[in-house]
Amino acid sequence: MANAPELLHGTLETLILKTLAGGRRHGYGIARAIEDATQGIVEIEEGSLYPALYRLERKAWVEAEWGTSELGRRAKFYRITARGRKQLAAQTADWARFAAAISRVLLAT
Amino acid sequence: MPFFNRVWWRPRVAEEVDEELAFHVEMRTRELVDRGMDPAAARREAERRLGDIGGVRATLRALGARRNQHMQRTQYFGELAQDVAFTFRQLRKNPGFTAVAVLTLALGIGGTTAIFSAVYAVVLRPFPLFETERLHVVGETFQGMISSMSAGNYTDANAGVTAFDGLAAEQFASFNLSDGVTPERVIGGKVTANYFDVLGMRPLAGRSFAPDEDRPGREVVAILSHKLWVRRFGAQPIIGRSIRMNGRDHTIVGVMPAAFDLASNDEELWTPIAFTPERQAMHDEHYLTVYGRLKHGVSREQALQQLEAVAARLRHDIPRDAAELRYSMDSFRDQFVGSYRSRLLILLGAVGVVLLIACGNVANLLLARGAARGREMAVRTALGAGRMRIVRQLLTESVVLALAAAGAGLLLANWFITGVVAASPPGVPRLDQARIDPVALAFAVAIGLASSVVCGLAPALRLARGDVQSGLREGGRGSTRGGFRDRLRAGLIVAEVALSLVLLVGAGLLIRSALALQRVNPGFDPHGVLSARVALPQTSYGDPARAGETFRHLADEVAALPGVTHAAVTSFAAMGPGGGSNGLMPEDAGDFDMKKLIQSQLRMVTPDFFATMRIRIVKGRGFDAGDRRGGQKVMIVSETLAARAFGGRNPIGKRMGCCESGADGKQDYKVIVGVAADVRSRGPATPPRPEFYLPLTQVPDAAWDWIGRTMYIVARTEGNPHALTPGVRAAVGRIDPELPLFDVREMEQRLAGALATARFNTLLLSLLGAIGLLLAASGIYGVIAYFVSQRTQEIGVRIALGATAAGVVRLVLGEALQPVALGAALGVVSAIAATRVLASQLFDVSPTDPLTIAAVVVMLVGVALVASVIPARRAAAIDPTRALQAE
Repeated sequence: MANAPELLHGTLETLILKTLAGGRRHGYGIARAIEDATQGIVEIEEGSLYPALYRLERKAWVEAEWGTSELGRRAKFYRITARGRKQLAAQTADWARFAAAISRVLLAT
Repeated sequence: MPFFNRVWWRPRVAEEVDEELAFHVEMRTRELVDRGMDPAAARREAERRLGDIGGVRATLRALGARRNQHMQRTQYFGELAQDVAFTFRQLRKNPGFTAVAVLTLALGIGGTTAIFSAVYAVVLRPFPLFETERLHVVGETFQGMISSMSAGNYTDANAGVTAFDGLAAEQFASFNLSDGVTPERVIGGKVTANYFDVLGMRPLAGRSFAPDEDRPGREVVAILSHKLWVRRFGAQPIIGRSIRMNGRDHTIVGVMPAAFDLASNDEELWTPIAFTPERQAMHDEHYLTVYGRLKHGVSREQALQQLEAVAARLRHDIPRDAAELRYSMDSFRDQFVGSYRSRLLILLGAVGVVLLIACGNVANLLLARGAARGREMAVRTALGAGRMRIVRQLLTESVVLALAAAGAGLLLANWFITGVVAASPPGVPRLDQARIDPVALAFAVAIGLASSVVCGLAPALRLARGDVQSGLREGGRGSTRGGFRDRLRAGLIVAEVALSLVLLVGAGLLIRSALALQRVNPGFDPHGVLSARVALPQTSYGDPARAGETFRHLADEVAALPGVTHAAVTSFAAMGPGGGSNGLMPEDAGDFDMKKLIQSQLRMVTPDFFATMRIRIVKGRGFDAGDRRGGQKVMIVSETLAARAFGGRNPIGKRMGCCESGADGKQDYKVIVGVAADVRSRGPATPPRPEFYLPLTQVPDAAWDWIGRTMYIVARTEGNPHALTPGVRAAVGRIDPELPLFDVREMEQRLAGALATARFNTLLLSLLGAIGLLLAASGIYGVIAYFVSQRTQEIGVRIALGATAAGVVRLVLGEALQPVALGAALGVVSAIAATRVLASQLFDVSPTDPLTIAAVVVMLVGVALVASVIPARRAAAIDPTRALQAE
């Protein structure tokens, strides 16, 4: 079971995986999707988005390919792999347990 | 299941990073502009949000490079795993192919590994001695031959040469161990005190000899070999104990480690050699083996120069004994390994040839299978597999095959080694150390991998080249190049035939030599003769008259045994150790001159020796009871000696100077009373040398020391010679119960022993030749059968058009025999070049013997014909309608 800082540290990766679970996206698309989904509460630090993507690619949780963007421009698209989905499921479960535990403490009456 | 991963198209990492970041900034800028921001401000804002762009870019480049590296590796191993898994499925699907290919290669790899392990054990393995490369055997040359050294020449070399850390001398000797239970004869060495230091090994227990223990009177100490310590003394603590040897008590001061057994010449114990000052001044009796350990940084040439300076002085100072003295020096390793090195390397070469033929066959199998897989390859290529990728996959298949074969080959090798060691001639140093050790294991894997490339590369390249379109169009039936006009296949046949021809010619030459050797008349009749040796200890038999009397008595006792028709004693039986030679000069040859001496083998015998051995007296008479001590001194010479000394003149009645000085200090002369037929004393392969015989009653007193008071008893019987052993042993016991009888063997065994090495090589090379022939035959069969199957339709058409069965057979055979003929021609040329290495092992047959070569060519072509006749007849039996319908 991961401890809190680590899980928080890995949160960006989990968010990326979650975003890609809905279909392939380029880096900018991922950033926008997360901003939209959290209604701007979570603003991606863009300087760390791409390194996270490269690390995920190395771990073979996502794979990349070059394609054409919605505006007809060449762009690099990321897609979640089967291994990535497994990770996402595991980390989502971890997060839920962690959040529930923290909630029990903080929201106790 | 995909056979290959998608090949990723990737721009270089730097471009990838730049383009991705540029795209991001552009998209963000566009978003901000859409929200109403001024374009220039929007771009600045987009870049600001990315933070330190330079830093991010550098981080991404580093991450990207690492990621690519990692993914390439993953991909490589992923593909490898796929290839291996796929290979295993393929091999399981074709168990027949797999078994034949693996077994063929295993035979080659197993044989090569077995011989290699023998070569490694005998030749290559380091010696257990300290810095063996500095160790040399120092000898002297006499009439061009390297001989043992005299005590005088050793002493002067030791004193006059500074190039060595030490020069040690050893006199091989045997000892009667009469301590405790049964008396036993033990081979040992009398050595200078520095012997073990010079050879470079410390005792396991106790100490080596002290510097003053090789002085007369102090030499009653002994060092045991590990072997003797275990065998006779049960490995019990023994240092300080006293044992009785040759009638004297000796104190055991040391035991050598087992490793020393491997580096020595079978000696089982050592005592110090005590040179008296008189001995040290004697330059004409040569019996010492001398070892020298070069000082660090001193070259062999420098040492030889110093030795030559000593020799020059001796040549000048004592012209009588040292007129021709030269010292020689050989590395210990060469001396020890001797001719086995070249013999073993020849065998290794031969077995390597068998491996090559095996590789040829497997290549053939892979080619045939590859043709059937043309469609599979075409599909893969169509799906985007690169040529290298396919080659890699095919090579994986042959590597897996070869490694399986190496595993099976190791099992075979283990078995072969046991056979080789069991069948090997006695006395091959360290051969019993041959085993599958890590070195042999590495060797097997290495040649396995090498052969996988040899047999797999050509078929793989060929298959990967096959063009997609025709492969797909042809369906599963294979590529259009399958026909026999196929250069690669024909080349394989040519190579296999040529290689097996070389092997068979080598084997044939050795077989002819063996047959010739069998026909050689050794000059005596070994059948029905028992031989054994007896040594009298110097302490109780020092008196020459007593020694002679004892042996004559022994000969009479043995002759009186039931079943014995003739018996005699002799200082040297043929084909055994012992014996010595003397320089002889006929009286009528003029003044004494070293150069006129004829070195001749001496045999001291009792009169019945010639009848016992059935050595013919060609002229004159044999010895008889009239040849007494004190009477007219007589000798019998061999035909070779007679011819050398007297040419065509009758030697009977002539006088010959030999062996001792007469009363006047000049040569002592003996009258020649008979000429005996030549005896091949060193084995049938060695031409007879000059020999002479003296009656035991008249030998010089010093001769007893020359032969160490050791004689052979020879006894002839009508029955089984071996049955005489107990009687002979009892006869020896009646004369002196402390005397051991040793080296008991039938004369026929001694004769066979002299041929053991030749027989072993012949056997092994014939075996390899046979395996090579079998492999080549199956290779030819395979190719021709394949050729017929590929051309079924064409042959069908021919038959339909009226070709006769005989015509079809002729067609197929004609195609088959072309590469066979070419291979045979190449093989003959290579054989003529290669068999020279066998020259020293051949007897009475030239390395390029036309008869052998012709016989082998006929046999090989015959076997090739038989191998092709079966598929040829199958071709003739093709039913044209069916063959055409198959289209």
